[in-house]
Amino acid sequence: MSNLNTKATAQNTYDAIVVGSGISGGWAAKELTEKGLKVLLLERGRNIEHIKDYTTAMKKPWEFEHRGRLTEEQKKTHPVQIRDYPYQEFNESFWVNDLDCPYTEVKRFDWYRGFHVGGKSLMWGRQSYRLSDLNFEDNLKDGHGVDWPIRYKDLAPWYDYVERFAGISGSNENWPALPDGQFLPPMEMNCVEKEVKKRIESKWNKSRIMTIGRTANLTVEHKGRGKCQYRNLCSRGCPFGAYFSTQSSTLPAAVATGNLTLRPYSLVNQILYDKETQKAKGVLVIDSETNEHIEYFAKIVFVNGSTLGSTFLLLNSTSAEFPDGLGNGSGQLGHNLMDHHFRCGASGRAEGFDDKYTYGRRANGIYIPRYQNMGGDKRDYVRGFGYQGGAGRGNWHKEIAEMAFGSEFKDLMTTPGEWSMGLGGFGESLPYFENRVYIDKTKKDKWGQPVLAIDCEFKENEQKMRVDMMNDAAEMLEAAGIKDVHTYDNGSSPGMAIHEMGTARMGHDPKTSVLNKWNQMHEVKNVFVTDGSCMTSAACQNPSLTYMALTARACDYAVSELKKNNI
Amino acid sequence: MDRRDAVKSVAFLLGGALSATTIGVFLEGCNPSGNKDNSKLFSPDQEKVITEIADIIIPTTSSPGAKAAGVGPFISMMLKECYPEEAQKAFVKGLDDLEASSKKEFSKSFLELDVKQRQQLLGKLRDETIAAQKTESDKTEAERKAKENTVVQKPEKEQAGKPMAAKEKKQGTPYFFAIARDLTLLGYFTSEIGATQACAYLDIPGHYDGNVPLKPGQKIWAT
Repeated sequence: MSNLNTKATAQNTYDAIVVGSGISGGWAAKELTEKGLKVLLLERGRNIEHIKDYTTAMKKPWEFEHRGRLTEEQKKTHPVQIRDYPYQEFNESFWVNDLDCPYTEVKRFDWYRGFHVGGKSLMWGRQSYRLSDLNFEDNLKDGHGVDWPIRYKDLAPWYDYVERFAGISGSNENWPALPDGQFLPPMEMNCVEKEVKKRIESKWNKSRIMTIGRTANLTVEHKGRGKCQYRNLCSRGCPFGAYFSTQSSTLPAAVATGNLTLRPYSLVNQILYDKETQKAKGVLVIDSETNEHIEYFAKIVFVNGSTLGSTFLLLNSTSAEFPDGLGNGSGQLGHNLMDHHFRCGASGRAEGFDDKYTYGRRANGIYIPRYQNMGGDKRDYVRGFGYQGGAGRGNWHKEIAEMAFGSEFKDLMTTPGEWSMGLGGFGESLPYFENRVYIDKTKKDKWGQPVLAIDCEFKENEQKMRVDMMNDAAEMLEAAGIKDVHTYDNGSSPGMAIHEMGTARMGHDPKTSVLNKWNQMHEVKNVFVTDGSCMTSAACQNPSLTYMALTARACDYAVSELKKNNI
Repeated sequence: MDRRDAVKSVAFLLGGALSATTIGVFLEGCNPSGNKDNSKLFSPDQEKVITEIADIIIPTTSSPGAKAAGVGPFISMMLKECYPEEAQKAFVKGLDDLEASSKKEFSKSFLELDVKQRQQLLGKLRDETIAAQKTESDKTEAERKAKENTVVQKPEKEQAGKPMAAKEKKQGTPYFFAIARDLTLLGYFTSEIGATQACAYLDIPGHYDGNVPLKPGQKIWAT
């Protein structure tokens, strides 16, 4: 019997275990295998094979039975996913069945999830921006949260490294709050956007700038992957491999080393702590198809299960030494939950371009990086926001009488009409201790686990910021000659931006943070957490590129520590 | 600059032509219809009427209309699979009412009417729908204001975070004509005929150009 156990243990032992196969987990698998480690990559959901399993990617609009809409059946099983636009018939199978994985909303929190190999790297928005020292220093300067244990110079070479591999297209701007990078050629602005850019930058004398979105879509062939075909169907999976995903990029690299074992249907329920070594010895997996419980062992564990997924796992990994969750001596685990707030801005009509049109569907827009509370700009709130937006030419719907029908109506609907230009803000939220998640044992998920309770809200600083997010947008559009500018605020509940982060934050001090400057748990040295949960502040930039850079950096450190026998 | 234009801006993103009811139905949770069996919602004659209504809304012009694009059967299927029972009932009743008013106005069944008569009936129905929706939205607005006034009196703690919460999507009364028109537009412009003949469809554009001269007779790009 003991022989059998020893043999089973040996079979289930690897150098490293990576929990989760999304954006950061894919990077961890790639980096660790390329450094020679035997890696077990655990994914709670099914496998999705690159290209082959993008079953809707080449479908034409008329080949979707419900033309993108959802059936009553789907609405019933996806009560959370249907709250906003991402969940549609076009990539329906990429989103979770909410009934399988309930959670408790102390306050409304929209939790968008995809359980499959690749995670949200298949459906992500692909906007890729570096943080700057403005962001890394904000906590220290205004006293919200704790100080970031790193500065831009620590991460800059790793941004270079991940950008070169992932393939980020964009334009260098020499803008202090949005550092330049290793970009592929930028996508093109259309004629209206170019005019708006010129006029905004001239009016504010380049103290505000507008650039083309920096996006993980390839504008040229890159490392064997095809370039963007301008179909704008990215979230179905790209058959050309033209945007960064685990499947298109990091997974093939990890597989090529011969060091990777990928195990789908592997829901990690606990990280197993060994009090003798004071390290993690492995993980307990629930096979999500069979419900079988299996243990796997490794020298190091990378936790990349998405911000709230990873936080649940750590909170659920209790022991005599860590009764409140693994490495949670600080009591900070689960706290300081942040997301971006958005859905507010302005738009209007562009005149003078009636003889111009566009060709192709560009899956990208423009970006105006943060300019508030920096230089000479001071506001009555802290931090700031950036804008995403763009111009496009629609039909003549504004000329159409209400509920019109008939042949004239059909002509108006199908004739290129007016150009419009819009700007939508993405605002930073602060790390409030009381915005938190914790384990709720009164409910169970499909696999018998307790669930997460989420108690999070935006507060006064965010509300004040939104007024400027509308008014500044209107002011810039008007300055750019846009007509009939109107502002909007559709409200923003936490979770909607799908940029949740911060619940296992990095920091200098083990008393007030969960991770050190290497994304290593202060209290459990062979456990690294490099997804969004590690974020000490949210900044206002789309965060995924930062997760990639932090992951590659942490892997480099972890392997060097392993070689020195320090962990 | 009106903040309530927000609703319009959402509609704009979805193509501008869908009614708030439809957007609500598509994006929001609804009471399940419980209509899982294979029974038909509509009689064969009603299905013909739906097809003819769609063809009045999007007729044949220089490109084929809704009937040729198969929009009628699409509407029947969508009503059955993607709409709650309440909307299904409203739609069936709408068909009955239309038939009744056809008989009243012209002493003929809707299917026996000529195109002009059909246009006339649907025009009247459209005007009634707009009026009913306006009455409803005025009422909702009054209720919203009344509610806002109540909220102000609540203790500060209970309000925290509320002003920023995502606005609930409108869950108005389903109107027969609005649903018929919305589904006609959706079904037609995403059909092969609608996308490739009424609009211009590019399967794989291959590149992007943000500054091309508008050609005479250029149709809008299908998405």
